[in-house]
Amino acid sequence: MPTLFTFAFKNIKRKPLRTGILMFAIALLVSALVFSLSFVQRVNGSIKKSSERLGADLLVVPTNARGAAEEILLENRIKTFYMKRSIMDRVRALPGVDRLTEQVYLVTVTGICCSVPESMVIAFNQDTDFIIQPWLKEKVQRRLGKGEAVAGFDSAFNIRLGLIEMDSMLFGNVFRLVGSLEKTGTGFDTAVFIGMENLPAIIASGKVKNLQSDDISVVLVKVKPGVDPASVAASVEDNIIEADAMARKDIGKNIISTLKDMSRIFTLMVVLASVFSFFLVWAIFTAIANERSKEVGIMRAIGAKESHILTLFFIEVLVIGIAGSLIGIVAGMGMSAVFSKGFTIVRQLSTQLSLSEQAVIAAVSFLGGAIICVLGALAPIQRLKKMEPLMVIKAE
Amino acid sequence: MGQIVIDAVSKEFRVANDAIAAVRNASLVIERGKFVSIVGHSGSGKTTLLSLIGGMVSPTSGRVLFNGDDIYTWTSDRLSEYRCEKVGFMFQSASLLPILTAKENLLLPVAFRSQRAPDAGNGQKADALLHAVGLSDKISAYPAQLSGGQQRRVAIARAFMNDPELILADEPTGDLDEETENEMMQFFLRMNREHGTTFIMVTHNSDLARKTQQRIRMHQGMLQPA
Repeated sequence: MPTLFTFAFKNIKRKPLRTGILMFAIALLVSALVFSLSFVQRVNGSIKKSSERLGADLLVVPTNARGAAEEILLENRIKTFYMKRSIMDRVRALPGVDRLTEQVYLVTVTGICCSVPESMVIAFNQDTDFIIQPWLKEKVQRRLGKGEAVAGFDSAFNIRLGLIEMDSMLFGNVFRLVGSLEKTGTGFDTAVFIGMENLPAIIASGKVKNLQSDDISVVLVKVKPGVDPASVAASVEDNIIEADAMARKDIGKNIISTLKDMSRIFTLMVVLASVFSFFLVWAIFTAIANERSKEVGIMRAIGAKESHILTLFFIEVLVIGIAGSLIGIVAGMGMSAVFSKGFTIVRQLSTQLSLSEQAVIAAVSFLGGAIICVLGALAPIQRLKKMEPLMVIKAE
Repeated sequence: MGQIVIDAVSKEFRVANDAIAAVRNASLVIERGKFVSIVGHSGSGKTTLLSLIGGMVSPTSGRVLFNGDDIYTWTSDRLSEYRCEKVGFMFQSASLLPILTAKENLLLPVAFRSQRAPDAGNGQKADALLHAVGLSDKISAYPAQLSGGQQRRVAIARAFMNDPELILADEPTGDLDEETENEMMQFFLRMNREHGTTFIMVTHNSDLARKTQQRIRMHQGMLQPA
């Protein structure tokens, strides 16, 4: 027996080209939505995770090196910058500062100084460190000795440190890679870590230019409980002209600002696609309403209620919307995977979207597609629902 | 009281600023189980009168009673139930849905019923009705695969699908040859006799009208005895 479902499916199959165009439009909208949401979520999430996992409330870097520091931390870029170690004492003297530790950034050059691919080498102070140790000790369980190194999670993979106890040449010195860090979701994942006590030998090797024995790259600060890191950052910048400071919540501000512009472009794209899809659905369903008004009149005359007509057409519109949305989700996910590699900012991000984040994006996009489809068809369907059956009889 | 009571019913249609009176102050009582024919010239208001009785267009004035209830005081849903379960329509043309087979067209009114009979019973009933109108071999045919006369017979069979108390037939045999027209008329008379179904049939065929129990003429929207 024909039910409203079988009747609706027969109607959908009646004009395959028209159905296909509608599904394609909805799929296009949904794929744009999935791509945009994935992009924005991935960048936002990556910045948030990086700052959360940093372990410091404040970053002090040489003047004008703020951007470079963000790029190292958030985008895995390879950069160096230096300031004098004495700045540490001046920072320590500022009110609100609880603990601090320093790091020195070095860059390897394959074949010239080192046997590992070009990457960041970070020398850290094992006595004061509170940044690397939490990620390190579960793997190594001891203090790093001279000539020992550990690699960030991704570097470990890259240089096959899964084979622990492998020796590498770093700046003219042989380093034994004794372990790897857990995944931090920050730029640290692509770096190699050594103890600060190795620096004199490295400097003596002459393989690192522009690095003096009293140079450091960054001071990482923990503030006292209840103190606002932003006020300490302001205090650093007011009192130490050679340094810039960023509170944890400000890390990634530059990227977020760029991202906001990109988000606006994506939003505009999605709004335009939504408007286009809405009018396409409206136009096609208006045509369907005109074309099938006689059929609706017949159905009303033989006993269909307004709710039957509504149900019939909403099944049709929902099937088209759901199918289009599902195609769009698959296409959007595919686009995100393929095209996002063309965006430097995304390619260098250290975090991927989790399954639950992907599910939320898919659900939001799915709903978006289905709702646009239903809204577009609403007015023509309402008009059909109100149709007087006499029209059929008079039209004969 | 009759099964159908038309009480001083008028119906005007507005076209631009003009009011066109299709039915004027019509009053009529039709008893249950009667076979009534309405004759009259084109444009005399016959179809509008059927539509008024069938709950498809509300009167400008007057009342239409079915089993004592004024049908135009009902909600839209109750009027739909009335059209679905109490009334069987045969329109001036076949009015079949083109994407449904002959049998599916018969089963469509069943899908609109508030309380459905078991599916198997409906299928058998549809087959039996198609057999009764001589279309046993066209059960799975689509309207486009049927001649005009065959489509008309499918529509006739569809009108009986929900066991209606009242059949409203608007020139139901218009597209049929003389032999088939007579066969359909015999079918109507048998249904009227055996099931007590009330028939109101608009026709231009005076021979068919003579076979009915009550003949009414419509002239310029007014009812007159034939």
